[in-house]
Amino acid sequence: MTLEIGTVALTMDEIAERLSGAFPGELADVRVQEPDTVVARLERAKLKDVARRLKELPQLAYETLNWIAGVDLGTQFESVYHVYSWRTNTYLELHVPVPRAKAEVDTVSDVWPAADWHEREAWDMMGIRYVGHPDLRRILLKDDFVGHPLRKDYVDLAENHPHA
Amino acid sequence: MPDQFAAPEPDAAVKLALQRIRETTTAGQGSDMEGLEFNEVVVNMGPQHPSTHGVLRLVVTLDGELVKDVIPVIGYLHRCKEKLAEKRTYYQYIPIVDRTEYLASMNCEWGYVMTVEKLMGIRPTRRAEVIRVLLGELMRIASHQVAVGTFVADLSPLGTAMVFYMFRDREVILDLLEEVSGARMMFNYLRFGGVRYDLPSGWVEKCRAFIRKMPKLIDEYESLVDDNAIFLQRTVGKGVITQQDVVDYGITGPNARASGVKLDLRRTRPYSVYPELDFEICTGTHGDVFDRYKVRMNEMHESLKIVEQCLDMLRPGPVQLGSLRAPYVITPPPGSCYVGQENPRGEYGTYIVSDGSRYPYRLKFRDPCFCNLQLFPKLLRGNKIADAVAISGSIDLVLGGIDR
Repeated sequence: MTLEIGTVALTMDEIAERLSGAFPGELADVRVQEPDTVVARLERAKLKDVARRLKELPQLAYETLNWIAGVDLGTQFESVYHVYSWRTNTYLELHVPVPRAKAEVDTVSDVWPAADWHEREAWDMMGIRYVGHPDLRRILLKDDFVGHPLRKDYVDLAENHPHA
Repeated sequence: MPDQFAAPEPDAAVKLALQRIRETTTAGQGSDMEGLEFNEVVVNMGPQHPSTHGVLRLVVTLDGELVKDVIPVIGYLHRCKEKLAEKRTYYQYIPIVDRTEYLASMNCEWGYVMTVEKLMGIRPTRRAEVIRVLLGELMRIASHQVAVGTFVADLSPLGTAMVFYMFRDREVILDLLEEVSGARMMFNYLRFGGVRYDLPSGWVEKCRAFIRKMPKLIDEYESLVDDNAIFLQRTVGKGVITQQDVVDYGITGPNARASGVKLDLRRTRPYSVYPELDFEICTGTHGDVFDRYKVRMNEMHESLKIVEQCLDMLRPGPVQLGSLRAPYVITPPPGSCYVGQENPRGEYGTYIVSDGSRYPYRLKFRDPCFCNLQLFPKLLRGNKIADAVAISGSIDLVLGGIDR
């Protein structure tokens, strides 16, 4: 296997069109962000299914997960997925809203193996629970740390880090 | 009174390693040597192990000399960089970015500054762009020198010569950077819309003298190890990263290129003045330890080519946007933006969510080493422990970036 980059020549608008055509009712607010990223919104219940199909999508094939970020938007969280298509040499940024009361979303680590640590980091920092993750431990903070520091309502107390 | 001499309670990672041993034993798998009993030992490599180049801890399950399992434990250098951004203005945060991937701080700063510039919709002046590329590529050479030097030093005593040669010449680069910015490693030099100072007088000549001398020095490094039988035995065919691994784990930088993938953001997602520059993407063919070493060596030559072209491209002009002469408080419009940039170790990206205030609402770094380290368990399993040291050296990790 030789990995070629950018073998499929599609303009950004064509890619956005194909994406909304392939996932009607699933990908919402599909828009192009210059120079090479398509941004879309997705419901969390459909994430896993869409992720599988995105990876297999003919010509586009978003095969590599670049990073995941948890964002605290106040009323809700957002899990942001940045995936890369080798064939078109473009990126797709998926915004998945996660309600604050039940901060859970399906794991995609079985679709994109790279998601493993990124999901652990988002759990550690933002407290988004990735359901089905094989080993959802804290990654950057200590095991006995209390709370998720990147949440906007996090208050730093001495008892949150007992062994600091 | 707690007993100070009691054996410490094993932490989560060690417990996980022990549990995995139990699982394989009950499943009847394990040792390769048939008929022999399992004799697996869990060893903590790090966080203060000399070969891990930083506070990386590997919980290694060994069967004799054979590595059965690896669990990387990180976070020993965690300094809450993403949280710090919430209470710093965009300007105040520049010196903090320096301290993420500290061996390539100029490139990290550049990535951050580019992202904010994109959010604000401004472009730096032409002269500032060229200076950025110039210093970024000098930094790349310096970073590769540390990477290769310490990697070879891990392999054998002859590598000690290598690391001294490398650090001797790296000092010249750091002197050049110091003359421009005032600091050896933590520059705080780039500004939104330009750079802090113009190049001092006489600097271009000094830089030219350096790049005339450098190719011979790189040949000298290569002559130290390239024909060495021990070096070749320990590097050729070891720790192979396949192209499938690159796709699955998002491996970037020289590690991906050594596997024959032409992934270089300077070409695939061009930024700054790179489209105007003439340079090759260095690739390997096998993706083993030797290829990763060779790719870094070749990249030093390419970076020198870029530096030379940039010196020729320098034209007099402002190095800072006039409208932004002292913009100590900037407020990018609300929105989010991600810019990936080719650091010496791979794709270093910055994702910023702005709410229109003076502070970044959310800032996230996509660090290349974090993603490359994820491959470690797969890469080291089945190797001898001594080779594991060579392989982890060839991946070139910087813990400041991983832990942030």
